[in-house]
Amino acid sequence: MADTTLVKKFKVTNEYGIHARPAALLVKAAGQFECDVFMEKDGNKVSCKSIMGLMTIEGYPGSTMAVTTSGADAEDAMNAIEELFVNKFYED
Amino acid sequence: MAITVKTLWDEGAEKLSLSVIAGEQHLDRKLPETAMNRPGLALTGFFQYFANQRLQIFGLAEFTYLKSLKEGEKLKRLKELFEQQIPGIVITRNRKIPEEILKLAEQHKVPVFRTPMVTMNFVNECTVILEKLTAPQERIQGTCLELMGIGMLLRGDPGIGKSETALSLIERGYSLVSDDVTEVRRTSRGRLVCWANEVTRYHMEIRGLGIIHVPSLFGVAAIRRQTELDLVIDLKTPSGNEDRTGVDPDTVKIMGVEVPCLTLPVRSGRDMANIVEVAALNQKLKELGHDAAKELDDKIITRLTKGRVRNG
Repeated sequence: MADTTLVKKFKVTNEYGIHARPAALLVKAAGQFECDVFMEKDGNKVSCKSIMGLMTIEGYPGSTMAVTTSGADAEDAMNAIEELFVNKFYED
Repeated sequence: MAITVKTLWDEGAEKLSLSVIAGEQHLDRKLPETAMNRPGLALTGFFQYFANQRLQIFGLAEFTYLKSLKEGEKLKRLKELFEQQIPGIVITRNRKIPEEILKLAEQHKVPVFRTPMVTMNFVNECTVILEKLTAPQERIQGTCLELMGIGMLLRGDPGIGKSETALSLIERGYSLVSDDVTEVRRTSRGRLVCWANEVTRYHMEIRGLGIIHVPSLFGVAAIRRQTELDLVIDLKTPSGNEDRTGVDPDTVKIMGVEVPCLTLPVRSGRDMANIVEVAALNQKLKELGHDAAKELDDKIITRLTKGRVRNG
């Protein structure tokens, strides 16, 4: 199976940004997949499978994050991450 | 749970220095209310409100008052008291028991006890014993340990490594309360107290080794008779669904009491004892008012929301 690499940008729209709870949801979502999942903002790139990484990336409310997935199940992983951003991490 | 006077006698005779003076054959009387009453007011003739379902305690006050009464009056009052179908009488301070009481006790089939204890001390001690006798009790599956004052219950499917984890913790100097089967009592303060079944107490079963006796191998410091439960740890095979931050701590209900609960995934090569030890330390920290997960989250939220203002 050919490895695919996808890049997509998402806006943080929940009230408090990417704090512990959203970070945990992202890690849980990314962790289900084999592929690499990274999140990038202002030149900082962290693994989306690392809680500590996501909590240091400073995902302010209103900021834009670039998510990269690469691997066999890159598309599914991207969809899972997108679902969280779209639903404001099920907060508010 | 209704108990009889005999239950109290069996459990408390020694601790309360009780002796039966009359009505020994009536020890099977029910003790509907597991509390005590000083019948002073009743002796004055006031029965409108009288706790007749409780054990009646005759102390210095009651005796001094009875002494002040004329003979005929004294008998009349005592008769009235016995007619209320009291479950039993305790005379404190080793007072000599008046003939009238002994006669009435035989007649009404009421057991009479005597103790050398001072009334206040007796009431205190007896309350503790009664509470213990009537507290709801259950037997649950799990290994109980005590780590630095934190009572912990390890649960999990058979073979997941509860006893092995417990053994490592004992080697690190912590104490075993019970292996695999734990007796739990709910106190009136809503706390859970764990201890081990009398028969198997301080024994463990380790796969491949068989049954071991912990204090013989590790010394008496390695055991503890009972502990209050502070934390439940569920050992599970990894599901990928584990809590990653600890911001939303879980609880589990045991006998109606909410107890903090952690689910730890067990993988081969993972030092469970180490993680359980840290869990106990973290629980201790939480009880002191420091919740690391929550504090970090609050710090991040503060930073993030400030960032929103700056970025417009």
